[in-house]
Amino acid sequence: MFLKGIHKRIRIILLIIVFLFATIVGKVFYIQVIQYDKLSSYALSLWSRNLPIAADRGKIYDRNGVVLADNITTTSLVLIPSQITNKEEVAEKISAILGITYEEMYAHVNKSTSINIVHPEGRRLDYETADAISALNLDGVYLVKESKRTYPFGSSLSHTLGFVGIDNQGLSGLELMYDSYLTGSSGAIKYFSDAKGNKLELSEIYVEPQDGINITLTINSEIQESLERELDNAIAKYNPDSALGIVMNPNTGEILAISSRPNFDPENYQDYTVEEINRNLPIWSTYEPGSTFKIVTLAASLEEKIVDLNNDTYYDSGSITVEGAKLRCWKQGGHGLQTYLQVVENSCNPGFVNLGLKLGKETLFEYIENFGFGSKTGIDLNGEGTGILFDIDDVGLLELATTSFGQGISVTPIQQITAVSAAINGGYLYQPYIVKSLNDPETNSVIKENTSTLVRKVISEDTSEKVRYALESVVANGTGRNAYIDGYRVGGKTGTAQKVEDGQYLVGNYIVSFIGFLPADDPQVVIYIAVDNAKGVTQYGGTIAAPIARNVLLDAIDILDIEKSEDALPKEYNYTDKKYVTVPSVTGMSLKDALKQLKEFKVEFSGTGNTVEYQSPAAMESLYEGSTIRLMLK
Amino acid sequence: MILLLTVIVISTFGVVMVYSSSYVWAEYKFNDPFKYVKHQLLFLIIGVFLMMFISKVHYQNYYNKANTILLVCLGLLVLVLIPGIGTLRNGSRSWFGIGSFGIQPSEFTKLGLIIFTAKYLHNNEKHLKNIKKGVLPILGITLLVFGLIMLQPDFGTGVIIVMAIIGMLFVGGVDFRFFFKIAIVGLVGVVSLIAVAPYRLSRILSFLNPWSDPLGTGFQIIQSLYAIGPGGLFGFGLGNSRQKHFYLPEPQTDFIFSIISEEFGFLGIVIISTLFLVIIVRGFKIARNCENLFGKYLAFGITFQLAFQTVMNLMVVVGLIPVTGVTLPFLSYGGSSLLITLVGMGILLNISRYQK
Repeated sequence: MFLKGIHKRIRIILLIIVFLFATIVGKVFYIQVIQYDKLSSYALSLWSRNLPIAADRGKIYDRNGVVLADNITTTSLVLIPSQITNKEEVAEKISAILGITYEEMYAHVNKSTSINIVHPEGRRLDYETADAISALNLDGVYLVKESKRTYPFGSSLSHTLGFVGIDNQGLSGLELMYDSYLTGSSGAIKYFSDAKGNKLELSEIYVEPQDGINITLTINSEIQESLERELDNAIAKYNPDSALGIVMNPNTGEILAISSRPNFDPENYQDYTVEEINRNLPIWSTYEPGSTFKIVTLAASLEEKIVDLNNDTYYDSGSITVEGAKLRCWKQGGHGLQTYLQVVENSCNPGFVNLGLKLGKETLFEYIENFGFGSKTGIDLNGEGTGILFDIDDVGLLELATTSFGQGISVTPIQQITAVSAAINGGYLYQPYIVKSLNDPETNSVIKENTSTLVRKVISEDTSEKVRYALESVVANGTGRNAYIDGYRVGGKTGTAQKVEDGQYLVGNYIVSFIGFLPADDPQVVIYIAVDNAKGVTQYGGTIAAPIARNVLLDAIDILDIEKSEDALPKEYNYTDKKYVTVPSVTGMSLKDALKQLKEFKVEFSGTGNTVEYQSPAAMESLYEGSTIRLMLK
Repeated sequence: MILLLTVIVISTFGVVMVYSSSYVWAEYKFNDPFKYVKHQLLFLIIGVFLMMFISKVHYQNYYNKANTILLVCLGLLVLVLIPGIGTLRNGSRSWFGIGSFGIQPSEFTKLGLIIFTAKYLHNNEKHLKNIKKGVLPILGITLLVFGLIMLQPDFGTGVIIVMAIIGMLFVGGVDFRFFFKIAIVGLVGVVSLIAVAPYRLSRILSFLNPWSDPLGTGFQIIQSLYAIGPGGLFGFGLGNSRQKHFYLPEPQTDFIFSIISEEFGFLGIVIISTLFLVIIVRGFKIARNCENLFGKYLAFGITFQLAFQTVMNLMVVVGLIPVTGVTLPFLSYGGSSLLITLVGMGILLNISRYQK
C-alpha cells in the first residue's frame, strides 16, 4: 500500500517533468521555426557588417541616346577600425599616401564606428593613390567602388539637368526631381563579425548594387548644342543681362532644346550663385511678351471671323486713343493704309488694338486663357512660373487695348512657345514635356514612356492655317525678315517688350524676342529666343533675336532633315503687289543651263534629251514668280 | 547499461560543446582556446572513474555515513563564506579556489542533503503524516542549508536543493495539502514583495518581453534567442555558432544549450532532450524497482534533482522563466557540478544492481 503511494507519486512527478520537457521542446520549436525569420533577420543584422558598394546613378540620355549625364567610377578608402591590428602603422602609411597628418589619420583608425570613411581626402581617389593603398595590403583597410557624376556637355542644359552633391544626391533640376528614380540601391559585401567587430572566417555575402533608372529626354543634343552656341555668341556680341531659348516640336510638345544664360557648370556648381543655378529662365522668368503676343490676338480674331486679312484694311495714323490714352505705334507717323495682313507684317500696334476692341474683353481673355496663359503649362521641370494676367473684372478698354499687343500682362517663355505651337499646329494646345521615358538600367528598355498630352483644342485647323500664312509673310515681308531662310518656309513674329521695374517702364531696356517655326505649311520645329537688355545695338526683336533663331533653325533643318519647300514665299515679296518676272529665252540651251536661268519658276518638261527644243510661255512674257514653264526636250 | 551509456554519450558530447562554445572566449581571455575544455575533460575522466568506482560501492554505506556527510557539507558551506578561504567569483563566494581550479561545496551539499533526507524519510516513515514531528525537522535542516547557500549567494543552487527535498517529501507521502499551504505561503510572500515595490513585477516579467530592456535584464535572454532562432531545424553545424563570438557572455556555462541549438538546430534539441529523458526515466525506474526504502528515496532524490535542474536551466534558456543562474547537468562547463552529477549517476548505477 505504502509503496504503491510512493510509486504513484513518482509517476506524477515523472509526468510533470515530461510535460515540462514537452513545453521546452515546444518553445524551442516556436523559436526556431515560427520565429525563425524574425530572429534570423535580427541576428543577421547583429552579426553582419557591410562594406557598401555604391550603385551607379541612372544616366540621362537625349532622344537619340547621346549621354547627357554619365558616371565615372572612382575608388574610396574605407576603414574598419576593429580589424586594424597595427593602428600606428596603418595611420603612418595611409597618412603619407593621402597627404594628411598622422594625428588626423590616427583618429580615423581609432574611431569606434564599425566603418569609417576618410572624408573627403579618402574619397574619389585617383588611380595611383588607390593602387598605392591596395599594395600595402593592410588588414581592415578596404577600397570600395564609388561613382562620380559627370556631364559630358559641360554647362549645356545645366539648368534642366541640375547637379548632384558629393554623395551623388540630386540637388537641382532633373537630378533632384527624378532623384528617387536615378538613385539606385547600394549593394554591399556583408561579412560576419564577432561582437568586438573582428571579421569572422565565414562566407561573405555579396549583395549586388542596383543601378538607378536611366532617363531619356526629348532633347536633341545637336539642336541643344546649336542653341547653346548661339546663346554664347549672343552673350559675346550683345552682353545682355540674360538670354534664353527654347526649341520645341509644335505637334507634340516635346522640348528639343532649352537653355539660358547665365548658366553654370554642374560639376563645379559651388562656384555659382543660388540665383544663377536655380533660375531656369525659359520656364521661370515672366515678363511682358510684347509683340509676339499679337499672335494670340490674331488667332482669336481669325477664329471669331472678325477680320479678313487680305480684304479688310486699317488706317494707322501713328497712334490710337483709347479712353483718353494715346497708344502709339512703334513707327513714327504710322503705317498708313494697310490690309490686316500688312498690320501683322508691320506689327502695327493700333491695328491690333482695333482687333482687340472688336473682340471684346471676354472673348480675347477667353482665348488668352485657352492658349494657356495665366496658368502653368505643366512642363515636367521644377520652378515653373505662372505669369500674371489682368483680372477680367478690372479690364477696361485701355487694359484690353494694351493686352491686344502684348503689354500689361506677364507671361513665361514656355507659355509663349506652347501657345504659338497651338496657334500654328492646327489649334491643339499640348502640354510641353522633356522626359521622354524612364529606362531599365541593364537593358535600357523603356519602363515608362511619356507621350504628348493634349490640353485642349483652341482654334480650328482653318484658322491655324491662316495664322501660319500671316506669320510666314511676317518673315518674308515684315519685321521678321532676318529669320528668312532661302528655300524654306519660315513663319515667325518678333517682339520687343519694355521691362517694368517698380511699376515703371525702364527706358532703353528691352527684352527682345523672336518666335519662329518651319516649314510654315507643316511646322516641324518652333523656336523662341529672347535677349534681355542687349547692349550697343538698337533693341528690336527683328535685329537681335531673329538672326539667333535663324541660325538655330538652319542647324535644325540639317539635324531634323527638313526638306526644302518649293513654294516658299520669296523674301521682300509683297503680297498685295504681286511680283512679275520676265521669262528668259532658254530655247536651244542645255537642260542644265536652262534650269539655272529659270530659277524663279517651276519647270515641267517633256520628251527625252538634253537640249530645250521649245518653251512655253515664250520668252519676254511677264509671269508671276513661281509660275510654271513647260519645256520640250530633244 | 542504458543509463551508463547515455550518461557517457551525453557527458562526452558536453565536453565537445564546452570546447565549441568556449574556445573564442578562452582564447581571448587566456590566450588558450583549450583552457576550459582541458578542465572539463580532466573532470570528465576523473568523474567517469569515480562513477565506475562508486557504482561498486554499496549504497547502504551512505545510509551509515549520512550524518557525517551532511555535517562535512555544512562545515564546508560555512568555511566557504570566510573571505580568504572561499574565493569570490562573479560576485558569489561559492568556491574553494585551488589555482585555477574551483570546488563548489554547494554542489556536494546537493548530494549530501539528498542522502540525509533519504535516510530521514526511511527512518521516519510513520511520522510523515504528522507535519510537526515528521516534516518540520527535515524542512528546518533544508532551510538552514538554503540559508547558508543564499549567503554566498547562489539562488539557483539553493532553489534546486529546496525543491529536491520537497519533491522527496512529496514522494515520501507527506500530505498534499501541506504543499499547497507552502505554495500559498510562497505566493503570498511573492505578492506582498511585489505590493511593497511594484518594480519587481516588471523585473520578474521582463523575461516575457526581453526587448523591453535589451541591454539590462533582457540582454542574456535576447542573445540566447539570437542563438536558438537562427539555428532553425538543422543548425549551422558543429563549431559554426556566431553567438559564441562574444555576443553571448560565457556561452559554455548556463547558456550552453543556446549554442547547441544554434549549431545543431531543432533536431539536435530533440535528441538532447531525449537523452535527458532517458536518464530521468531510467532513474525513476531504478527508484521504483528498489526494494530498500532508503535506496528508493535516494534514487528518486538524485534523479529528481537532476531533472529539476535540467528543466530549470532549459526554461531559462528558452525564455520561459526568468534568468536564475542554474547550470545544465552534463553539458555546462563546471568541474564540481560534473563530478557530483557523475557521482550521483554512480550511486544510481549501484542501486540498480540490487533490483528485484
